[in-house]
Amino acid sequence: MENNDNPEEKDYNISFFKPTTPLARFNRNLILVLFTVWAVAIFGFQILLRIVETPTPEKAYINYELVWDNIKSDKASDADKQVFIKSALSVLGKITIDPNDRLFLSNSVNKLTLELVPETEKNAFVSKIDDFKNSDFGEPDYQNLKNGLSVASAEYIGVNPNTLEAKLIPFELVTANSTNLDPKAVESIMAKYLIHNQSFITDYIFLGFPFHYFYTAVFLLILFVGLCLYYCIATDIAMKKLGIVED
Amino acid sequence: MKKAFLLLAILSPTLIFAATSTQLEGGFKLGPAIILLTILVLFILVGIVFRAKDTNDFFAAGRKISKVGSGMAIASNWMSAASFLGMAALMYGTGYHGLSYVIGWTGGYVLLLILMAGQIRKYGKYTAADFIGDRFYSKPLRIAGAVVAILISIAYCVGQFGGIGLLFKWILGIEYGIAVVIGGSVVLTYTLISGMLGVTKNMQIQYVIIIISFLIPLFLLTYKFDYFWLLPQIGYGSVVSDIVKGIPVSDVNNLVNSFGNDFAITPSPEYAMPWDPSSGQTFFQFMAISFSLMVGTAGLPHVIQRFYVVPKVRDARWSVVWGLFFICILYWSAPVYSALGTILSAHPEVGKLSKDAIVVYTAQLGNINPLVVGLLAAGGVSAAFSTVSGLLVAGASAFSHDLYVKVINPSCSPAKQLMMARLATVLMAIIVSLIALLKLALIGQLVAVAFSLAGCTIFPLFLLGIWWSGSNRTGATWGLIVGSAISLLAIIYFVAGKFDVILPAHYFINYWLGAWYFAWIGAPLAILTNIIVSNFTEETPIEIKKFLVEQVHS
Repeated sequence: MENNDNPEEKDYNISFFKPTTPLARFNRNLILVLFTVWAVAIFGFQILLRIVETPTPEKAYINYELVWDNIKSDKASDADKQVFIKSALSVLGKITIDPNDRLFLSNSVNKLTLELVPETEKNAFVSKIDDFKNSDFGEPDYQNLKNGLSVASAEYIGVNPNTLEAKLIPFELVTANSTNLDPKAVESIMAKYLIHNQSFITDYIFLGFPFHYFYTAVFLLILFVGLCLYYCIATDIAMKKLGIVED
Repeated sequence: MKKAFLLLAILSPTLIFAATSTQLEGGFKLGPAIILLTILVLFILVGIVFRAKDTNDFFAAGRKISKVGSGMAIASNWMSAASFLGMAALMYGTGYHGLSYVIGWTGGYVLLLILMAGQIRKYGKYTAADFIGDRFYSKPLRIAGAVVAILISIAYCVGQFGGIGLLFKWILGIEYGIAVVIGGSVVLTYTLISGMLGVTKNMQIQYVIIIISFLIPLFLLTYKFDYFWLLPQIGYGSVVSDIVKGIPVSDVNNLVNSFGNDFAITPSPEYAMPWDPSSGQTFFQFMAISFSLMVGTAGLPHVIQRFYVVPKVRDARWSVVWGLFFICILYWSAPVYSALGTILSAHPEVGKLSKDAIVVYTAQLGNINPLVVGLLAAGGVSAAFSTVSGLLVAGASAFSHDLYVKVINPSCSPAKQLMMARLATVLMAIIVSLIALLKLALIGQLVAVAFSLAGCTIFPLFLLGIWWSGSNRTGATWGLIVGSAISLLAIIYFVAGKFDVILPAHYFINYWLGAWYFAWIGAPLAILTNIIVSNFTEETPIEIKKFLVEQVHS
């Protein structure tokens, strides 16, 4: 060290944990408090969420599990097939579904729906699918073809024509490119999309939000502004007390 | 008042032309184009009126900006395409996981304030490299700091140019590549004309445009779809719960999207549940992204640089509070677009949408007046512009001030320095445009790369430089080397992956050192290295210690 610049041997070391000036000491204490609140509020809460969560299946998954063994072993009744199709449509209606996953499930839905159609009606039903496949959105016949296929499919899969399942199924029938059902793929897709990490924190509703969502998306931001505000007010007061005038 | 009147007067003729934009994508949209053009002309006029007259103006706006004004400029500078478009896109694609970006990009301001803002202003340097070179009494470190600042600015700008390209493409109905070039040229032109002073004035106007354009559609959408519209930022809680539970067709009350599809959705808990398997994102990634974005926020040169433009140290602190509050208004609102967009686009007829444009698509799918949708898109362009201009100035400052004047040509005239700053701005804009054309990732993710880079390099130097006088040149150098090495490794693996090149331990590195969150380990390692090496090497010169005690901590 160049001692020539420090003839009085004054301690000019600055360390956050060993502050040597009154302002640095004040800052350390304030920062430690605010930092702790900040860290616990952000990371502590997410860790808590992680600790208390349990994999929770959707109703569609529970229904699917009831019939899956029969479907896999080709012993499924028509009712089993209808349950499976409805569960699969619960996945296919999700906007986050991966296109590859969608194709696997659409093929399964296609296969089982066609199995539900009586032989005498099969050709007519298949031509309805083809007609809809060959029409484009905005064409004069598009809506009629879609509605016709929807109503016909609804009857076979056992749902009311005015349900989401009935409205979704025409699009899955035209998406399918085969009538294969890949059991391994179906099992992993159904688990991937229908089992979620839930707990009492995610189930509790606050101001319309699932609580954890409100906490992270709304409350934490309020807290951040509040912490900054507190810091500025506390620093202003400390500056006055310490008699420090900033330029 | 004067500004508001000017804005209204300029915008009013566009009412006639605006009602032409009805498609989600496709052709030229006259109304939005005129709104955009009007706003850009306004920016350039403001830039000319308040243009930089000398280097002091160019770099630090002559230190004439008030704390509220500076807060607005911080917010505008911050509210980029990543905030305006990218956040909703991330939540639309990955649900709760997207909130890691929301808290990462806001929580970092707490760190910035309590650890750095006032101290940086007290230190009294113009740029991040200035601080690094001076505090660590090292010319090579100054150069390294300048180079890192330029790289961060470039990485950050890439996402912004992507957003500009997307919106110009939507408005003008042209190819993405051409849109990037046109948009990039416009933002470059006005940054060159105005410099920081014009930019700072522009940022205040931009903030108003950004926030108004972002909020109006939210009120309309929540009102239209029968949610609590007086405060959409709270009212959308019921939207989230509806997504989780599902909305049956029987409950839609004739509400439809612009395709005529029912406002219905199958139960989708994956939208709100934490680290859902279907999102492909894990608990670790949520935590790593949040942390990386926070330390990155406190290390971004163009954010740090904003504290130099306030007249007093107290203003530097308060400008963070104002800035964060202004930022949060947008951040409380962005998830609303994502939630409503999820329901409105749930029907297969809507098809796969470009996530980065979900904000605009949501307004369109909600059948909002095309004039309002056009204003929203123009607001998105403003958001990208405000950030790009700040970034280009920060990068240009690093080149002309920290590299050219301080290292290459110390005796150069102020006019020459200004010329070099402008040359650097042009070069950066060209490089950024070329990278943006590659479309490497979502806007928000591209911007997150810049944050991790800042978190691994600049943040440790500022943190230790301010708070520990024991941190010396050698420690800082080794800390920077470690931080840079980790950054380089993560970015190489990310880019290689994008070009289908599989490097050794590809999956391991891409997961644990993901391009948008490698600072989770890079920042702590850089800090640790700096501390260890500093403890075993020479002491910091007494004049630096004295300066820290007497100027920064007293």
